[in-house]
Amino acid sequence: MRKWLFLLGLVFVVSCSTIDCPVNNIVETRYRFYDTDGDSLVLADTLTITSVRKDGSEVVLNRKIGCATVPVPISYSHPEDVLVFNIYNSEYSIIDTVWVKKDDIPHFESVDCNASFFHTITDIRYTTNFIDSIVINNPKVDYDKTTIHFHIYPKVSD
Amino acid sequence: MTRRPFISISIRRLAISLLLLSAVTATQAQMKFFTLQKDSIPLFRGFSVSFDLVGAATLALSDYGQYEGALRINLHDEWFPIVEVGLGKANRDDEVTRLHYKTSAPYFRVGIDKNLLNNKHGKNRLYGGLRYAYTSYKVDIARPELSDPYWKWDAPYDIRDVSCYYHWLEAVVGIDAQIFGPFHLGWSVRYKRRIAHSKHDFGNTWYVPGFGTDDDTKLGVTFNVIIDI
Repeated sequence: MRKWLFLLGLVFVVSCSTIDCPVNNIVETRYRFYDTDGDSLVLADTLTITSVRKDGSEVVLNRKIGCATVPVPISYSHPEDVLVFNIYNSEYSIIDTVWVKKDDIPHFESVDCNASFFHTITDIRYTTNFIDSIVINNPKVDYDKTTIHFHIYPKVSD
Repeated sequence: MTRRPFISISIRRLAISLLLLSAVTATQAQMKFFTLQKDSIPLFRGFSVSFDLVGAATLALSDYGQYEGALRINLHDEWFPIVEVGLGKANRDDEVTRLHYKTSAPYFRVGIDKNLLNNKHGKNRLYGGLRYAYTSYKVDIARPELSDPYWKWDAPYDIRDVSCYYHWLEAVVGIDAQIFGPFHLGWSVRYKRRIAHSKHDFGNTWYVPGFGTDDDTKLGVTFNVIIDI
């Protein structure tokens, strides 16, 4: 029995640990464009989005074209994000400003995983030069890459 | 045509007989498992107290662990009702993620072990047992100087004094060897399974006092210094 006592002890001296952080750990919003019939719309013009920040502004989506869904970063803990949508082609350039209001929740997985924030979108406001309307489709912003948070309906050109 | 009902009846009778036989055998085996060995040894054989060295060593050498002691009653050297009480602690600053995690709380387990050896009254024992465990604890999680990569705003990341609870079960296998007199040493290996826990907006807790780092299931080990009283 004493032999077993020490043998078992030796076995358990060798141990291992694992780090289980989520593979997809990007928290961002997704906007999908729709036409007036409610069908998904592929952008024919070029879209650039800039964030209005503490030290000026920075491009968060650069010259996107031919897409129906665009990912847009969301701030960690600022109560309201300000985004400038610039839609343009060789003939025109239109700017809309979007204000996204939200609640921010610190998210913790493990001490081995980077700190992150999840969010609940509470309100959205926008100017209506190019945008006709924006609807909150799903207010929960987390690691889920498949969630579409906003439906954007552009104005119909004459 | 007339033989088929007789065959089916025979098969049914055989099946019922086998079922009854197996049920009786299982019941007899169960009764034998739970019945005390008949001999001249009294039912109450005393107490033992123990202290776990693995948890204490883990706490001394790393940033989490526990101090744990146990009181075990010896019933006829066969059954051992046990209460384990401990203080689990974690105080970690991760160098990479710069996350700080702190908790300190008591926990307890109650359960029973059975001596699985044929020679129940020998110097050594092989245990199998079950535990129910519970802890109620508070956690502080913080990340200093977190700056938003896109917006550059400072982002306060501070989860403070959040109350949590955790219920779990443990299946235990252990050995206990008499070294001299009332002094024993023993190992136990535990399979832990969470049965209920508090849920929070912020996600999971990391270290749970008595359970270890959070997961649905976990293997654990103790090395006990045991003294018979």
